[in-house]
Amino acid sequence: MKRSLIHTVVFFIMFLSVINLCAQVNEKIWFDGLFRSYFARDAIDKSKIDDTISANNTSNGYNILDLNTHINPIDDIEVFAQLRIRNSFGSFFGSGTEINVRQLRAKGVINNKVRFSIGDLFLKQSKFTLYNYDEELSGYENDLLKHYRDIIHYENFYRENRWRSQGIQTDFSFEFDRFIRSIDFDLFVTRPRGSSQINESTYSSDLLLSGGSIISKINKSLTLSGNYINLFEVASSGTRNISLRNPIHDMLLTHNFSNDKNHFEQTLQTGFSKRYWLHTELENNLEDSISNYTEGMYFELENKFIKKDSTLFLKVGYRYVDPNFRSAGAQSRRLDYISKSNTIYPNYTNMSITRPTSIFDLASDEQLYNQNLSSILMGFNPIYSNILPYGDATPNRTGVYMDAKYYNKNKLFISKLNAAFFNEVIGQGTLEKRNFLLFKGAAKINFHRLLNWDKELSIHVSSESELTRRGGDSISSLNLYSHHINTSINAEIAKKFFLQASCKQLNANGNEFLTERNNYGNITYFTSTHIDQKDYLFSFGMLYKFRDNVYANLHYNWWGMKFTDQIYSDYKYNRLLLILSVEL
Amino acid sequence: MKIKTKLIILLGLIFFIQGCTKNGFEGPSIENLYADFEINEPLKIINTNPSFSNNEVVSFHCEFNKPVQWKISIQGLTTTATREINDFSNRIDSNIIFWSGGPSQFPFFIEEDCAIELTFENEIDTLRDTITIVSAKTYENGVWLEDFEDGFPENGLIYYNSLGGGMTFSIENDSALLGNSYFKMGGRVNWDWPLGNIDLPINISTTSQSSDNLYINIGILSDLLDVHTGQFINILISEETNTPFNDNLENNASDLFESTMEVYKMKIPVDWQGWQLKSFRYSDFEPISPNNLDINYSMNPSDIKAIRISCQACPSSSGNPICPENFDKDVRTDIDHIIFTLNSNLLDQ
Repeated sequence: MKRSLIHTVVFFIMFLSVINLCAQVNEKIWFDGLFRSYFARDAIDKSKIDDTISANNTSNGYNILDLNTHINPIDDIEVFAQLRIRNSFGSFFGSGTEINVRQLRAKGVINNKVRFSIGDLFLKQSKFTLYNYDEELSGYENDLLKHYRDIIHYENFYRENRWRSQGIQTDFSFEFDRFIRSIDFDLFVTRPRGSSQINESTYSSDLLLSGGSIISKINKSLTLSGNYINLFEVASSGTRNISLRNPIHDMLLTHNFSNDKNHFEQTLQTGFSKRYWLHTELENNLEDSISNYTEGMYFELENKFIKKDSTLFLKVGYRYVDPNFRSAGAQSRRLDYISKSNTIYPNYTNMSITRPTSIFDLASDEQLYNQNLSSILMGFNPIYSNILPYGDATPNRTGVYMDAKYYNKNKLFISKLNAAFFNEVIGQGTLEKRNFLLFKGAAKINFHRLLNWDKELSIHVSSESELTRRGGDSISSLNLYSHHINTSINAEIAKKFFLQASCKQLNANGNEFLTERNNYGNITYFTSTHIDQKDYLFSFGMLYKFRDNVYANLHYNWWGMKFTDQIYSDYKYNRLLLILSVEL
Repeated sequence: MKIKTKLIILLGLIFFIQGCTKNGFEGPSIENLYADFEINEPLKIINTNPSFSNNEVVSFHCEFNKPVQWKISIQGLTTTATREINDFSNRIDSNIIFWSGGPSQFPFFIEEDCAIELTFENEIDTLRDTITIVSAKTYENGVWLEDFEDGFPENGLIYYNSLGGGMTFSIENDSALLGNSYFKMGGRVNWDWPLGNIDLPINISTTSQSSDNLYINIGILSDLLDVHTGQFINILISEETNTPFNDNLENNASDLFESTMEVYKMKIPVDWQGWQLKSFRYSDFEPISPNNLDINYSMNPSDIKAIRISCQACPSSSGNPICPENFDKDVRTDIDHIIFTLNSNLLDQ
């Protein structure tokens, strides 16, 4: 099957390359894509770890070419295919070389009125229905580690907070000359997971995601929109008679107005969700029934102030998300700690224990990331994100938040500030509720603008703090503090040639209770955990930018973790990394 | 409305909604999970002089301040028979937790004193008590039973390879699992796997339970000393309805176990020492010819017509050393007390 697919793909490449000769004339076929060469050599610092089992150092890498083919047989239709050729280091003469179809999509416009897409889709709705939230510790990434982050996002299809799925989508709009200005419609049906064999006689069901949005511009300043989404299983496509249902209804009202210098926007967003499992085709002709039923609502009021010269952005809001609000499309996490494990030195020490995930792994390991929607809340690590592990759609939160950005007019100074104060709506395992305090700040100073240099010299500093507290008796009370600091310097010592250094460190101490859930998302246990650890990543390297999106990057990382009074041993590793990235 | 008024209303609304929290809590109580363990109500034993032969039971009751993994151990002071009951909860409920007189495994309890012990995982507390069994449990309560107490059934068939050495396919009375008699099945066939088998006709046509609720229980004795490592028992159950049990008198066995018939099998490696009582759910048996599309495999206990218990072992001789470790060893897979029970296995009845 796979071989025949490869043959088909190779045939099409050859066939299309012939067509391309004509395409250069009629411009019906065009190409773009990406080439990347990646080499990493990892080494263990055995002076810090009692580990004679692991290799002293390992190296791996690959070359990939993602060739995007755009075919326009007629003006209104485009067929898009992304073919990946990957050659791992150490592979020769075809052995270890892979050719895959990475994306395939057709899109077009019917009668200049209705747009459609079939195949691989990138979908996003509101923040509470379908939204792929950024992973933790990625908000204020420094320039040196940005290349790692770009690879993670590219390999996992993370684009503009969209979820990738396969299906069909259409959108169209109507314009009116009275009462309302316009109505836009967007509808889709996708299949995030197909039926698959679990064992000899059991097959899982198809998982489908369908939804739609209506956006109505009522007048110049008022916009009303509604979203609906449903993640559900089709019981008849498998052998199980239990199928998931998770519909969410969402409504958003936006009011905006401006004067000469400022723009104001107020939004009111609310909605509710249901989630349950439907039992069908029961024995003895019993009627269909449901189990594990939950329903919950959310409410958000947000005010934005934007200076029209783009020097100041300020957002203040209030949010309430019910403990029982469940939205697979908005609450599925990118980082999956449960079913994924570290790629680099997954085990350590002579006891061969699993190495705890560090900030280096979060920043560099694309295999830790998830591309699937989860019907129940995924596990998270409170050290890295305890306040909003599921983004704004995190259930059981009520509180106020603030977001601000300030740009100096000549961009000498850029700063960002993010603060929030949340409470739990209902306690977990105790009547007492957690209180959360979040404070994040970042600043970038462009010294070259201050000194009127042509070449760049900039310093970036950010600090992110999370404080979680719960009162009550000595058993259930908790206090967890984590602080993430990130500094970097960029110095352009020759034209397009940069020296870079960065320091990233996370300290966490206190105690928390990790929540364990069963297959239906119900809490079954709280595991008490004591935390006192330091997580660090130092980097130094050089970058040559041929042009935007074409660069060569060579750098060295020193990274590890230190634990105090915990069951884990300290560890320390080094990495040499070379990336050549060319966007075609 | 002035902006100041709007702001006051907005802030008031936010503080109002901020107060919208819920009473109670999600999940199990942390206080219960992590508090020091305490016994709120001591162990109570209801019926300390049980007469299990009259279907009496012994019930247990105890309460703790948090859910724990607990274990009730019952040990016969004469036979050393044991029974364990365990669960994870904060309450031992006498309506749910009871003992009907069976052991966890052979030997069986008799009329004797028994020590009761309640222990908790990761806790030092142990609660102790005793009971006296007035009359022991009987094990004849099934839909079909063959215990060989009246000799080998008249309509049953015995076949074994008569060329083998020390072949023992007969009723013996020296050390039965229950009662006095059992069927001794073993010997040595150095060149082939099958040693022999017994076939017994069965009629349980009045049974209405599904295959999930029918249990086949059988006592099996392996060797008491040097166990033959490659020996096993195959149980075949036939639901063939159109063929008589033994029409063909030349094949030395029943005619109901052909590969073209609806026959189910279960293989039991016999690799322990002494007696054990094994129980199997009928629905766990596998079709003998799963790839034969002409056979309609639809398990129905009321259609069961016969059972075959065959003794097989990995051969070993100087000329055929497939299992050299068993060279010069006799196979022993004696059986006793074959009983079909409904809804649960024999020891849980």
